[in-house]
Amino acid sequence: MVKKRKSTIKDYWPRYRRQMMLATISMQIIVTVIVGVALIIAGIPPLSFEYGIVMLVAFITTLLANLLLVFSIVVLPLETLTTAITVVSGEPTDLIMPNPNTQYNERNGLKPLLQYLYTLATDKQSPTSENAPSLLDTAMTNTSASIVILDHHGTIQYASPKAPITVTSDNTKVLELLFDDAESFSDWLASCHDQIRAEKSWLRIPNKIVGSEGRRIFDMTASFEKGNPAEVVLVLFDRTTVYQPEDNQLDFIAFAAHELRGPITVIRGYLDVLSREISEEPQFREQHLLLSRITVSANRLSGYINNILNTSRFDRRHLKVNLAEQSLSHIYDSINDDMQLRASTQNRTLSISIPDDLPTVAADLSSIGEVFSNLIDNAIKYSNDGGLIQVGATPEGDFVRVDVTDHGIGMPANVVNNLFHKFYRSHRSRETVAGTGIGLYITKAVIESHGGTIEVKSEEGKGSIFSFTLPIYATVAKTIATGDNVTSGIMRNNDNYIKNHAKFRG
Amino acid sequence: MAIKTILCIEDDRFIGEMYVRSLQKAGYTIDWVVDGQDGLVAAQNKPYDLIILDIMLPEMRGNEILDALRSGEEDNIPNTKVIILTNFDQDEETRMAMRLKVDAYLVKAEITPHKLLETIAELGHED
Repeated sequence: MVKKRKSTIKDYWPRYRRQMMLATISMQIIVTVIVGVALIIAGIPPLSFEYGIVMLVAFITTLLANLLLVFSIVVLPLETLTTAITVVSGEPTDLIMPNPNTQYNERNGLKPLLQYLYTLATDKQSPTSENAPSLLDTAMTNTSASIVILDHHGTIQYASPKAPITVTSDNTKVLELLFDDAESFSDWLASCHDQIRAEKSWLRIPNKIVGSEGRRIFDMTASFEKGNPAEVVLVLFDRTTVYQPEDNQLDFIAFAAHELRGPITVIRGYLDVLSREISEEPQFREQHLLLSRITVSANRLSGYINNILNTSRFDRRHLKVNLAEQSLSHIYDSINDDMQLRASTQNRTLSISIPDDLPTVAADLSSIGEVFSNLIDNAIKYSNDGGLIQVGATPEGDFVRVDVTDHGIGMPANVVNNLFHKFYRSHRSRETVAGTGIGLYITKAVIESHGGTIEVKSEEGKGSIFSFTLPIYATVAKTIATGDNVTSGIMRNNDNYIKNHAKFRG
Repeated sequence: MAIKTILCIEDDRFIGEMYVRSLQKAGYTIDWVVDGQDGLVAAQNKPYDLIILDIMLPEMRGNEILDALRSGEEDNIPNTKVIILTNFDQDEETRMAMRLKVDAYLVKAEITPHKLLETIAELGHED
């Protein structure tokens, strides 16, 4: 038995055309027969000349009527509509989508019908449809990738099922990701408006703070094309399984580091007491040198502990900076003894050029002391025996710029690009230099929470320059005065400074 | 007002001994107590020029001692300066409230005895 094929949309028109032709021919025959019989009844002989003429005229007239009226008024519009329906149905076909703007379609009133049909078809294919899950949705549930599409208003038009999206109380979908203040997605998007195309990637962006349930960590690339209905396309990769174990380790280490603060305080305190007491005795010169090395190690250990604790606070959005008017030379003086000791015990020369008459800056004394300490410590680690490390500061617009320069081993470009990422350590430094991979990460976080920036220039074999900026106090004094300068930092937002409630230095 | 007499309320014997030794060598007269209750009694019975106060203390915490000595608008030790010296992680609100009542708030992990001496010298020169 031959299985009957299920009829489809495109099958309708050939069947209708066949039926229509059959009906037309039948109608033609019936009309001709009726006219012939009528003539015979009227007394005109069937084989006469008159009979033949009348039959011919009647046949041609009905044929023309069928062709002109039935085909143009009934058949052709129906053909156009069925062609349009067949095309938008998505069934495989060679038919061409009828153009609603032809004169014929305008004249016979088909234009609005076709346009409405096409609008319905577009809505059905729209990703915002509430209909059953699309093939894309189904596919995206099986991967660690997510896609989010935004229109030119920044409104989310599509989000695949596993995308980090949250719905606000007014039923608006928003991206649930915690960006660094200095590299936020919204700032990037705002900067795209005067461009045609743009693209940017972010690494290690969490959707919630450390310790929160359902925390996921993403790598993300955003593409922007002006005028495209899908103006911004975000492609996100859920990398939680890669990044989360490192965060868990840091959590544990931070817990341990907290307990280490007591003993290291005692060690550093007694070293301070002891080295000052024996420094006055000439016969203990050698012991004093040995004590200096222990002091340097204890101070570095203390620095690591501070970095770990501050990183943990920053990741939990608990890092705050206590902004006050400070002179940069005063901040540096608070750590100068330690830095000089670190440099001299490792046979480096530390040259400081921070003029006393620089404009004062808005800074947290301890935090910026740690920034100096981290950068100088790095310069010591990655410079050569006997090397020179220079620290200089100059005004630069509304900021004071600090440069920490070494003439050491330098870095290739691929290392520089990743330098400020958490836990990043180059392959080479992993093997040769001790470190945690969080010093520069927290340094950047601290500088940005002050509203400053940090950058690095490096040349392999020649050395590196780490530069950071801090806002001049006078330029932000008003902002600090109107807010709580202890619980709030400041951050740059386009040309203005706004309070940053997210930073806490405990 | 030059600072000559100091009360140190610190329960950690290593840290207490470290500060007491440095302060004595620098020429200060110092009394050292290791629990909060004794610290409050000592502060109420003798007019010290400076009190160095830890927060996490047995019997009575440093903030309670401070409240007892300087409660509201009443200051029972108007001629005494107070330095909080702690490693205790307080929330910012509590810390701010304490800062307002004291002359210096120092984190143990961030200073050394030498820096404590510098701070005391600065406080002595303030008046």
